[in-house]
Amino acid sequence: MTDAKYPQVRIVTERLLNPDTVERVMNLIVATGGVRRVILNGPRIPGVVTVGPAKGSPNPHAMRKPIKIGEQKVLLEVHVGTIVLELESRDFIPAIKEACENGFTRFSFYIQEGRYMKTEPSLVDYAKYGPDADKNIIGLSEPGKSGPIILQGTK
Amino acid sequence: MAYKPQFGPGSSTIAENRRKQMDPSKKLEKVRDISDEDIVLIMGHKAPGAAYPTMHPPLAEQQEPDCPIRKMVVPIEGAKHGDRIRFIQFADSMYNAPCQPYQRSYVAAYRYRGVDPGTLSGRQIVECRERDLEKLAKELVATELFDPARTGVRGSTVHGHSLRLDEDGMMFDMMQRRILDKKSGVVKYVKNQNSEPLDKEVKVGKPMDEKWLKAHTTIFHSLVGVPFRSDQEYIDYVQRVHSLRTKYGFCPEE
Repeated sequence: MTDAKYPQVRIVTERLLNPDTVERVMNLIVATGGVRRVILNGPRIPGVVTVGPAKGSPNPHAMRKPIKIGEQKVLLEVHVGTIVLELESRDFIPAIKEACENGFTRFSFYIQEGRYMKTEPSLVDYAKYGPDADKNIIGLSEPGKSGPIILQGTK
Repeated sequence: MAYKPQFGPGSSTIAENRRKQMDPSKKLEKVRDISDEDIVLIMGHKAPGAAYPTMHPPLAEQQEPDCPIRKMVVPIEGAKHGDRIRFIQFADSMYNAPCQPYQRSYVAAYRYRGVDPGTLSGRQIVECRERDLEKLAKELVATELFDPARTGVRGSTVHGHSLRLDEDGMMFDMMQRRILDKKSGVVKYVKNQNSEPLDKEVKVGKPMDEKWLKAHTTIFHSLVGVPFRSDQEYIDYVQRVHSLRTKYGFCPEE
């Protein structure tokens, strides 16, 4: 769950991002020190083939690989196209924008401020998480998946 | 007066390309070479060189009922031999891919006999007897209807038509059936359309450049191509169809 006092920004790029670009940009963004929570969003890349005659066999994919953000290893399970950030304050937005300008050199991007994370648990969230869910992760990760990743030592 | 099909309205290059692709009297421009073996590998219905499995005895051997329609319609080669019905399916990026799902169905219906084309959301399937399918699939892949980067041969998990492109200009593919070789710049299929790994890579040539794609595409796109609103003739035609079908819904007496 999110608190309205924290600003949120969304970074949308012209192209879907390679893992090394995500790693480079995320490290620049995290280095600004004002990031509370992050969602890396994009179309999913499953680890195994989900339908068809090859169902259940491994799905080798160049975009599904671990990256390192700070000192933390993160397995990318999506082909990242949108980065949603929750910040400590609005003062960090210029620094985030500068990080993006340094990170995205081959194509354009835009950055928007708004509400992009869930503010209230939905009926589906209740069905998924139950009544005693950790409200900090609602809307950020799916139950039964790898769960949220905490980036250590960014402040 | 004999009926002369017009194939479609419009005065833009998009409309012109659509008409050209649909018109069977116009030859499709051949852009790349692809062997019979390669197309069989990409489709993955049987091993290259294997005999065609059958679903019924050849027509010459079975007792056909005395039917005037059967006498009138000449069967295609695959039907004569009793081949199975198999398919090839395409996903086309809306970023100036040379052909598009609805367009593909028109093209298949105008140009080929004995096919069952079908358009779904962002993909298009052509079903046909196996030996005839191989011939038409080869034409669909080797000609201007196909681009290695913006078009994908995908049996299932076709998502990608409406998504942004990858950094290297390829259309998103959840199963990464084809990859762009950075050294040679050639796109190669490493999985068949059913996402089964191929023993041998199938090269389908270099992606076409932006200029070629923009000149040959059949989709309107307001950001990267020709905007729909720039083709007034097309707008008038669509509005006319919409207006007439709406009025017809009220059952006009005139």
